Amino acid sequence: MLWKLAWRNLWRNRTRTWLSATVIAIGLMALIFVDTMVEGMSVNMVKNATDTIMGHAQIHAQGFRDEYDVKLTINNLDVMLTHLRDHPDLKDMSMRVVTYSMLSSAEGVEPILTLGIDPEEEKKLSKFDEAIIAGDYISSVSGGDLILGWKLAEKMELRLGERLVLTAVDAESGEMVQELFRLSGIYKTGDNEMDASMALAPRETLQHMLKLEGKIHEIAMRYAHMNEKGTPAIPVTKPDKESGNDLSLWTELMPAMQAALQLTDQSMAIMGLILFFIVALGITNTLLMGLYERMFEFGIIKSIGTTPWQTARLMVYEAFCLGVFGSIVGLMLAVIVTILFAKYGIDYTGIEYSGITFQEKIYPSIRLERLVVYPFWSLGFTLVASLYPAFKLWRILPVEALRKRKF
Amino acid sequence: MSEIVIASKNVSKHFGEGEAQVHALREVDLDINIGDFAAIVGPSGSGKTTLLNILCGLDKVSSGDIQVSGRSLQDMSGSELAKFRREHIGLVFQAYNLIPVLTVMENIEYVMLLQNVPVAERKERVEKFLTEVGLEGKGNRFPVELSGGQQQRVAIARAMVSHPDIILADEPTANLDSETGVLLLDMMRKFNEEFQMTFVFSTHDPQIMERAKRMVTLTDGHIVSDEIK
Ligand SMILES: Nc1ncnc2c1ncn2[C@@H]1O[C@H](COP(=O)(O)OP(=O)(O)OP(=O)(O)O)[C@@H](O)[C@H]1O
Ligand SMILES: [Mg+2]
Repeated sequence: MLWKLAWRNLWRNRTRTWLSATVIAIGLMALIFVDTMVEGMSVNMVKNATDTIMGHAQIHAQGFRDEYDVKLTINNLDVMLTHLRDHPDLKDMSMRVVTYSMLSSAEGVEPILTLGIDPEEEKKLSKFDEAIIAGDYISSVSGGDLILGWKLAEKMELRLGERLVLTAVDAESGEMVQELFRLSGIYKTGDNEMDASMALAPRETLQHMLKLEGKIHEIAMRYAHMNEKGTPAIPVTKPDKESGNDLSLWTELMPAMQAALQLTDQSMAIMGLILFFIVALGITNTLLMGLYERMFEFGIIKSIGTTPWQTARLMVYEAFCLGVFGSIVGLMLAVIVTILFAKYGIDYTGIEYSGITFQEKIYPSIRLERLVVYPFWSLGFTLVASLYPAFKLWRILPVEALRKRKF
Repeated sequence: MSEIVIASKNVSKHFGEGEAQVHALREVDLDINIGDFAAIVGPSGSGKTTLLNILCGLDKVSSGDIQVSGRSLQDMSGSELAKFRREHIGLVFQAYNLIPVLTVMENIEYVMLLQNVPVAERKERVEKFLTEVGLEGKGNRFPVELSGGQQQRVAIARAMVSHPDIILADEPTANLDSETGVLLLDMMRKFNEEFQMTFVFSTHDPQIMERAKRMVTLTDGHIVSDEIK
């Protein structure tokens, strides 16, 4: 009965109810929409990062990541590889030689990070092949091809086909070794570091140069399936301590991005709180208006035997109905808007954010759990908003309420 | 001696403090007996509404004691009073008694729902009292679709339906034209005689007073006369 009464009371002032429901709905929709966009942006950033070079996880010798010591190659590579090939969810991997080096042209010298790769392997893992803007991708796992980023090329004023000398330290004696390359291509990834201070060369050529015959520094891996947090669904078990190797997920390889994403989650939560707080204030106000308008009626209701507690519940139920109604409308709006944007996307291409330039349009990405959580939030806040009016209603004496009407 | 429904002893009620204090009731002793059909009359501001409010526990006495059906109202909490009224007292006000979003039937049903009366019995009692007040077939209407007199009759049906010990009505006819008012009162009188329902109502209207079996006159918060006709 109280529910029926609450529901009908809600529809007494249709305009007001629609307005309040719209406020709840728009608040909810805005939050869901921003959330899906932010999520879409995160997915995009993660994808950018993991697809361009990093992969989802990497294996190194323990300690290699500290200083990129050329001597610290992956231990027991054969065992490691058999292991990885058995893994059910591992899609691609690329074995790399990684070294600090100096790149000299006729004009000048720049310190860079050089990766020695197998172009076929690397193609599947990263996007350097697609990122070539001039010349060609590396043609074979040996030979003298070298590709580098457009910013570096610009800085050193390099032309395609130009001869370049790479200087590094070998793994055996620690002596300086040099090798001659030919600039075969220039790429543009959108990542500042990769575009300005990195080069790729054939793996075997580098292994030979650095006296690393058959050895590598890094295995970058891509999994077929990732879970919601963006980590592998079926992770490769970490090698144990004795193996001398180490496996790091992208979240560990890029702690800054991981932190940025978590920060985004937090700021979403704060924004949500503020938004819902404002919505709740509006609802409180509306409910209070309704309360004062119907004061005499509540006096009657209380006089004929409704307990204070039952009367207060009437107000909470009314808010509950309003909250459910508003949330449903908001959810529908949110889904419509999200679907629209999912179709057309938002063009952020060329805009740089924390060192990464977006290469693609951003598409909203719905996290189902949020579609459940946010409506409950808005419902919860609507209920909280009704507490003060409900308390007033609970407290008011029927005689006082009855006096509110002059005949 | 007939049984007493309401016993009020030495009841005083004042509003406000100090200079501005208003003595609405002064040392009122009034017993209402089962089967009474009593009018409380008196000039405006004489304390009729205050007395009725106090008799049903809507308002607290400043001093004195009220017992309804043997229970003292002074020390009950708001929720206890609400439950007490629900079971023992029917109330009818001057106007706008009904909950506008509920139909006539639902309005009458309301108190029984609070009392957890089973559904079959609820329906039966609603039908019975709708017929008693001459509104059979109008159960699905909303209060705004009824005339003032019809609304007051629904209010009386609502008060009757939960089988209270007494019905208190503050100027139930004041918003009605005198003809309708008289009809309403005749109906109350009929219930008084048929069901032994005890009524106490206040009024200004001499035509209405005529129909009372007992007339209590208030002036300035005093009972100046209490006559049984
Ligand atoms: N809440 C209140 N605060 C202050 N004074 C009040 C209050 N309620 C009633 N009074 C005063 O108490 C006195 C009695 O009022 P009451 O309403 O009982 O009179 P009444 O006989 O019902 O009058 P009427 O015929 O106009 O309805 C009046 O002087 C009134 O001003
Ligand atoms: Mg009065």
